[in-house]
Amino acid sequence: MKKLFLILLACLMLAACGSKNEDGEKTYNVGVLQLVQHAALDSATQGFKDALKDKLGDRVVFDEQNASGDPTNCSIISNQFVANNVDLIFANATPALQAAATATGDIPIVATSVTSFAAALGINDWNGTTGINVTGTSDLAVGALKKQAEQIVELFPEAKKVAIIFSSAEANSVAQAEEIEVYLEELGLQSARYTFSDSNDIAQVAFNACEWADVVFAPTDNAIASYASADQFSKPVIAGEEGICKRIGVATVSLSYYQIGYKAGEMAYDILENGKDPATLPVLEENEMSKMYNAALCEKFNVEVPADYIEVK
Amino acid sequence: MLTFSSLLRALPGNVAQGMIWGIMALGLYVTYKILNFSDLTVDGSFSTGAAVGVMLIINGVPALLAVIIAFLVGCIAGLITGLLHTVLKIAPILSGILTQIALYSINLHILGNKANQAVNVNEYHLLLSLRDTNKSILVALLFAIALMLILYWFFGTELGSAIRATGSNEQMAKAQGININLMKVTALALSNGIVALGGALLAQYQGFADVSVGRGAIVIGLAAIIIGTVVVGANKKEHNFLLLLGSAVIGGVIYYIFIGIVLWLKLPTNDMKLFTAIIVAIFLSLPHLKIKKKEKKDATN
Repeated sequence: MKKLFLILLACLMLAACGSKNEDGEKTYNVGVLQLVQHAALDSATQGFKDALKDKLGDRVVFDEQNASGDPTNCSIISNQFVANNVDLIFANATPALQAAATATGDIPIVATSVTSFAAALGINDWNGTTGINVTGTSDLAVGALKKQAEQIVELFPEAKKVAIIFSSAEANSVAQAEEIEVYLEELGLQSARYTFSDSNDIAQVAFNACEWADVVFAPTDNAIASYASADQFSKPVIAGEEGICKRIGVATVSLSYYQIGYKAGEMAYDILENGKDPATLPVLEENEMSKMYNAALCEKFNVEVPADYIEVK
Repeated sequence: MLTFSSLLRALPGNVAQGMIWGIMALGLYVTYKILNFSDLTVDGSFSTGAAVGVMLIINGVPALLAVIIAFLVGCIAGLITGLLHTVLKIAPILSGILTQIALYSINLHILGNKANQAVNVNEYHLLLSLRDTNKSILVALLFAIALMLILYWFFGTELGSAIRATGSNEQMAKAQGININLMKVTALALSNGIVALGGALLAQYQGFADVSVGRGAIVIGLAAIIIGTVVVGANKKEHNFLLLLGSAVIGGVIYYIFIGIVLWLKLPTNDMKLFTAIIVAIFLSLPHLKIKKKEKKDATN
């Protein structure tokens, strides 16, 4: 045991010797704390880093840590950031924000992928700013379904019949179907529900939907997101979000996690360089949604993509 | 940035968090070491303790009382596992898993049908918080000592001795006229109560309760017990029971110090769980390697 500790101690001392890199005057150390490896969160972190690199060049150093899905790891990582006395903490997802905000009341924290900052921080009288060392961008998507209904008309002006396909077991999907039916009716489109309760039935239900409809709509349904495949649809699909669009859809109107991460990065820049106070910098809650398209499927269905669309990658 | 002093500055936080998990490990010790029962309820009951503690505190209950109530609710969770095992004759591991699964839904209900509930250190008077790590160490230490003394006393009573007897030889205990089912249920309730208490402390420490906070709790708890056993050398039976209990708490602290080192070394973050597993594997194999080395030495003599 003693030998083991001696070796460890020697390693620590060696590591301590090789770390004198204090040449640049205003190089910022930013701690990046992400809750879990996940496509959306990864995009947000990428957006955050890109924003700061665009603004600061190589005057920013990131200490990237991932709690690997374990919320309690967020505290141990936040504790490390505070010990390192980083200039700013970027917290990606709710538990990451909570742990960071508990760990420090001084170091500025910019968060993203948080739906409600008020709920995450336990603030009862919410007025748009946190009043503490925290600000950031929310991932709330308001009015997505209405924009998606309008997208059907925009891309397929000839379409008359829209099939809505989802799992009847998911309450969230049923609610979305009810909402978009109203918008479709307002736009003069006929709609019908095609539901399944067992993910093994998706292919059959998709076939029936495509037989009847001109365009299929798939809400943010977990079963669709996990089990549907593009081959099952002989008609173009408008998707409820980016991930489903990537899988089976020709297009969607969706929140871009890269964008909310990028905006959080711009806020971080304002705090670091322009001396803005996170306590009074309003949390960005109104998100612009981006129109996105799936290049391969648009080609398959000969869809002409307007210029304001961005490609889903 | 990779300086020794930054590791030292992070140390109090790592020790505090390790000590809280050590308290949880004390609970696990009751079932794993004393009762000889692999109880997987703890992943659920740890979250239950966190959820109960936080919900009570945000509704105005003093933090200490909230922790005690979390203990009692944890006891109920253990009771259910005990009843599944003793009355319905379900195998130990399965009984624990069943309660754990059920607790996931129950914990969501406790949290007001949300996956996550904040308890803001700026707004509530908490027993301990990541904001003040030195105070947290002190509070966690007081809880650990109090629990160790209570367990020391309890396992000396007639009831406690009967639980120990059940754990070491069930048939023999039965022959002595001990109601072994009652002993199992009692030990499971006590164990999960302590685990839930640990959950309530951790939730305050990190400033939130999350429905998945207890995921993998059993692994950390077992790691703490085993690391403690190796470091204190508490394999031998003649050791004082108080020292054996203390070793679980020390094990938790060492576990988190190592995690702190893994973080500090800035190893690729996606490999963090891999390094954690390697650390535990090293500690698990140390006693065996020591014995082998001794045998070799004896052979050459």
